Amino acid sequence: MAGVDVGGGGKSGKKSLDSEINMVPFIDLLMVTIAFLLITAVWSHMSRINASAMVPGPPRPDEEITQVEPEPQLHVEMREQATFRLVWKTGKDNLTEKVIPRKPEEIRDGAGRVTGARYPDLAAEIEAQWKMTGKHRDASDKKLDQAVLHTDNETKFSDIVAVIDAVYHTHRPFNSGKPGDQVSAFNVTFSVN
Amino acid sequence: MAIHQPGRRLLHGISLKFVSSHVTGGGKRNVNAGLSLTSMIDFLIVVVVFLLMTFNTSGETPLSKNVRLPKAENSIDMVDAPLVGVVGGQILVDGTSTGNTREIEESKQVKRLEELFNILKAKRELWKQNRPNKEFPGVVVLQIDRDVPAVVVKSVFQTAAFAGYPNVSFMVDGASKTKG
Repeated sequence: MAGVDVGGGGKSGKKSLDSEINMVPFIDLLMVTIAFLLITAVWSHMSRINASAMVPGPPRPDEEITQVEPEPQLHVEMREQATFRLVWKTGKDNLTEKVIPRKPEEIRDGAGRVTGARYPDLAAEIEAQWKMTGKHRDASDKKLDQAVLHTDNETKFSDIVAVIDAVYHTHRPFNSGKPGDQVSAFNVTFSVN
Repeated sequence: MAIHQPGRRLLHGISLKFVSSHVTGGGKRNVNAGLSLTSMIDFLIVVVVFLLMTFNTSGETPLSKNVRLPKAENSIDMVDAPLVGVVGGQILVDGTSTGNTREIEESKQVKRLEELFNILKAKRELWKQNRPNKEFPGVVVLQIDRDVPAVVVKSVFQTAAFAGYPNVSFMVDGASKTKG
């Protein structure tokens, strides 16, 4: 049987500090631990992406109503089959408008089957537009810019998620206490109209 | 019973050359290979440490068998919230069926799902009763198959928002982030 030398060894007359471990149950324990961890391992990691609904909160009679200056919002329209429309609006006024072609990049699984798409061109364009028009770019700013996603009723859910994912691609520094911390530059709202 | 001095033992006193030659291959290459115990234990310990470090409980959300989630790179960790599933035309709240999507898919119009609304509202009331001094987070997670049309997504989304859950999250398969 194997022994474990923990150093020292004890002086004459004292009990030795060396002890022996029975290797058979030790290896059994390691094997059982490996089997347990392999069985309980989560290989496909589930996560989530936010898409808040812009609904008014409950009335607060205790708070005074203050007029809020409307901020620029990015409206991402995916109603056309071949294009996306990116419109920055302040209230009802259009600030900028740009149509960009849809160039999906296919996502494939291990067997080569197409399981979805991503839109890197859309993500890059949104990031470029946010750097010009976005209001909340400072790391100390706790508020995020708002993006609203509009889609028709036929679009597949995977495409909706791909576009939301492209909007969340833009990140900015954020003072949370941790050095180098970043947050997504946008808060996405999913329009049901 | 008398105690005798032990006699010769096999392979010590008695050589049994034919046995040892058979076991060792008799001049041929040995079929028994030795395994270094130290290396094996090192390997096992490294595997245990790796598995322990990658062990994660946050992704252990009940996933319906037939649901195929869309992939997303910029996702965040799951939260403990009511789970609304839309799988194979069925609408489930925390695994319990609360109707189907047939009517919406046929009419192709966004509409409120009354049964789903009532269940989510009841869950919200229960949460508030159990935690009277806390603010309701209003988070609901939608577990929707990637091929479901937007009209169904909109209907479930709108129903959840009307039931007092404005912070809606879509469950996704967290894909690894690509560069560029």
